Amino acid sequence: MPISRKTYLSVTALLLFLGLAALLGIVAASLVLVGHTQDQVEEILAARKVRSAAADLLTLVQDMETGQRGFLLTGESIYLEPYRDADARLDEQLDELSAALAGSPELAEVVDRLTATLTAKISEMNETIALYQEGQTEEAVAVIQTERGNELMQTLRTDLARLREASEARLGATVTRQERSAQFLRWVSILGAALVVLVVGVAGWLVLRYTRDLSGARQEVEQLNSELEERVRDRTAELGRANDEIQRFAYIVTHDLRAPLVNIMGFTSELESSLETLQTYLRKAPASEPLAQAAAENAGDGAGEGAAGQPASGAEAAGTATLAEDARLAIEEDLPEALGFIRSSTQRMDGLINAILKISRDGRRPLKPETLDLEELLTVSAESIQHQLSESDGQVTLDLTVKSIVSDRLSLEQIVGNLLDNAVKYQKEGRPLELTVSTRAALGHRMVIEVRDNGRGIAPQDHERVFELFRRAGTQDKPGEGIGLAHVRTLVRSLGGDITVESEYGEGTSFFVELPRDLRPILGSRKK
Amino acid sequence: MSTEAKAVTIVMVEDDEGHARLIEKNIRRAGVNNEIVPFTNGTEALEYIFGPDGTGAVSGSRSLLVLLDLNLPDMTGIDILERVKNNHHTKLTPVVVLTTTDDAREIQRCYDLGANVYITKPVDYESFANAIRQLGLFFSVMQVPETD
Repeated sequence: MPISRKTYLSVTALLLFLGLAALLGIVAASLVLVGHTQDQVEEILAARKVRSAAADLLTLVQDMETGQRGFLLTGESIYLEPYRDADARLDEQLDELSAALAGSPELAEVVDRLTATLTAKISEMNETIALYQEGQTEEAVAVIQTERGNELMQTLRTDLARLREASEARLGATVTRQERSAQFLRWVSILGAALVVLVVGVAGWLVLRYTRDLSGARQEVEQLNSELEERVRDRTAELGRANDEIQRFAYIVTHDLRAPLVNIMGFTSELESSLETLQTYLRKAPASEPLAQAAAENAGDGAGEGAAGQPASGAEAAGTATLAEDARLAIEEDLPEALGFIRSSTQRMDGLINAILKISRDGRRPLKPETLDLEELLTVSAESIQHQLSESDGQVTLDLTVKSIVSDRLSLEQIVGNLLDNAVKYQKEGRPLELTVSTRAALGHRMVIEVRDNGRGIAPQDHERVFELFRRAGTQDKPGEGIGLAHVRTLVRSLGGDITVESEYGEGTSFFVELPRDLRPILGSRKK
Repeated sequence: MSTEAKAVTIVMVEDDEGHARLIEKNIRRAGVNNEIVPFTNGTEALEYIFGPDGTGAVSGSRSLLVLLDLNLPDMTGIDILERVKNNHHTKLTPVVVLTTTDDAREIQRCYDLGANVYITKPVDYESFANAIRQLGLFFSVMQVPETD
């Protein structure tokens, strides 16, 4: 099933849209997930900070306790140095821890207790150290022995451990979330990629199929085209043969018509010369004509001698006189008239036969294609009517777009010559003839020669008739036998072209001679 | 009229009797009184020229002049022309082709085959008569050689 162009285009557009959507989806999902990852990394960092801050705090407190114990045991003030250092950094460390825990309000209670415990522990340690320095060593040891310091330390440891655990839990949750979103991203990518592959696959299949359909169709068209060309060539050759046959026929017919015509004309001439002899004889002896004279004498005698004498002979004489008069009339008027008609008719027939012969002979003449300079050829043709043109203030203009053609020179000269002669012959009285000969290219390696005049024009009903043999159009006030345009059409057709006319009666006429730019291939196909 | 010319017999091969009559009339008008033997088809004309045996020996001792039309009912005048010009006894016999065909190739062919004169029958009778009368003058000054 072939894909229609419309389906192809809409399906391709849809696929393109789908592919684009899939890609956009992947990109959007990635962007969102990158944002999530960023958040999670921050969470992890925060959790780690809590852990380390808690650990550092514990270390500080332990350092302080160690310093306290060392001092209390030895009394060496050197042990107080780390104690003081740690004490100085304690607040800072505590702030750090609080800040790290800012995002976890559920642990605020723990922090508060931690702060309280820490304050209590520090005040306990400060108390013991102060007591020792005052010399009350017993009291100081007693304070330590109350185990309160230890208890406080225990509470501190527990709370810090809880904080650590909470941050561990937070870390674990974050890592799980991170893993889940990574998983999600993978699936989105796989799905998107699958979609893109699918879209590309379907689109590729469509393109392939459509291209195959197209090339199939093109092949078919090419084949049809070549078959058509072959058919046209065959038909052209057939037409050429038929045309040749008609021309041969015309040639034979006209030849055979000529033979009896020679007889008619010959014997008409013989009759004329015989008639002349008769006429000379009549003119030379009109009075001494024996029959007429006798008749006249008889009539005179009859009247003189008496009517009753020879009435029969008188009537006979009168009859003879009438006969003689009839014979004279026949010889002087009827016979010459009849002979004149025979002669003019045969002359006309001779003209027609010669015209057909001329056309059929031109049709049989082998054509010689050669490259012709149209400018030169048309200029020469135009010059040949220059004399007639200048008589009536007329002028001829050449306007050539196409300047060369491969054709038969003689035929083309006759075609153009005939058309120009016609234009001169049928110009409109009292209007200077404006004659334009132009050439232009036409489709299919052909060209058109246009001969346009402002002459008397041809009425629409006569447009086809003017090309027919022995037919003429319009007022018959010019000599001619109606051969010119028929001859032109025969010539144009033998050159593989056609001639058409456009005309407005009283305004002017344009003849269009359409010809192939190169006659050789046409002659070639005719020979086949 | 020269004595040589009198001996020549004119063989006229013309299928159109009207043409034959007109030709004869005009030849006579030109003052040529030679015997004219008319034929309306090629077969009889060939039989006369080449004799019953077809060898042409019969023409060896007589002087002929052939007036030939090309369009004959049974053959073309070209066939007759060819045979006359290819026969040993008749090859010097003058042949005048007188026909309606004015095709240049046809005329050339006749001359190539040895025709002595080629005249186109014009439909215009005056020129026709004129041509034949001139032909008559040509006959009167012509000497036909005898072949043995």
